[in-house]
Amino acid sequence: MRKLFLILSVVFGVLGIAFTILPLDTLAFLPIGLAFVFGLLTLKKSEDSQKKFPKIILTIAALCSTVVLGKTLLVKDEVATDTQFEQQKIETKQEAKKELEELEGLE
Amino acid sequence: MKKIIWGVCLFVLGFSNLSFGQAIKSGEKLVYAGSYNMSGLMTQLAQVTMSTETVSTSKNAYLHLSCELSTYSKWDSFFKIRDIYESYVNPANLKPSLYKRSIDEGGYTKKEKYAFKGNTVNSTTKRKNKPETQKKFTIGASTQDVISLLYKVRTLDFSKFKVGQTQNLMIVFDEKQIPVTLKFMGKETVNAGNLGKKECYKLSISAKTDALKGKDKNLIWLTADANKIPALLKFSIPVGTGQLTLTSASGI
Repeated sequence: MRKLFLILSVVFGVLGIAFTILPLDTLAFLPIGLAFVFGLLTLKKSEDSQKKFPKIILTIAALCSTVVLGKTLLVKDEVATDTQFEQQKIETKQEAKKELEELEGLE
Repeated sequence: MKKIIWGVCLFVLGFSNLSFGQAIKSGEKLVYAGSYNMSGLMTQLAQVTMSTETVSTSKNAYLHLSCELSTYSKWDSFFKIRDIYESYVNPANLKPSLYKRSIDEGGYTKKEKYAFKGNTVNSTTKRKNKPETQKKFTIGASTQDVISLLYKVRTLDFSKFKVGQTQNLMIVFDEKQIPVTLKFMGKETVNAGNLGKKECYKLSISAKTDALKGKDKNLIWLTADANKIPALLKFSIPVGTGQLTLTSASGI
């Protein structure tokens, strides 16, 4: 049973790190929380000499939680200035004006 | 993302056989935060901006209705989206003359143009790495593009609607006419960004398309005032659920 908990805590720990790096906001708490739960279960099932690894998993989970919480609270959702997109909008509008005039010419 | 846009667009339907009220103003700008529900948690994904402006040619003046979707900068490195949906309409009756769609979703691009001439539509489509295709097809007299319908629905007088009342109509999307049903579900108070809490008309939308799923799971809340600003939109698509929440409204 300890081995199963250990594997699950590692899998969710890795997912937790990946989700923390990706801009998935609070969704990252899902694998982090599971890594934490399985880390605790592994710790409970471990002998004194086996407790080092689950403690590392718990530390990683705690660190990831802090990073996610910090990102959620401090990083503002905003759209970057995209000059190419702005230029595209201007050109599209100019094209549309010509196309409308062509349509009017058909009337 | 096309399905998300569907979610947005299909909320907004008009009725050709109903009376219309206040016209849509030029210079209006509505900004929404688009979120996607992943495993029960909402993740902020993109900003949707809907704006109106007057565009004049030598003969006519049109109302340019624009809907832009841009992913937040945090997503740009992973999956950048820059979509524009536009409609050039008659300011008096919101009948479209030209509809344009330009999407760039994670490198996949598609440009689409519909030129409306009476009941005939001349469409031009250009997909990434594919030759341009042209098509001519006929639509019903009251069929509109999704963007102009988005605005037309706001000219309707929902105060006369009864709870559960439905209306069928047609939209044109992806070179196809699609039947859509709108159901009035009553009134609810929701948060409307900088407008504060507002009493809204709650409407449910269903369409004969694979893009939307669930019964009464695709919803729109329009402020129950003269402006009928879409304050909240919730949609259910095959890959999950999401919502658009109004963050700011100006020029209304």
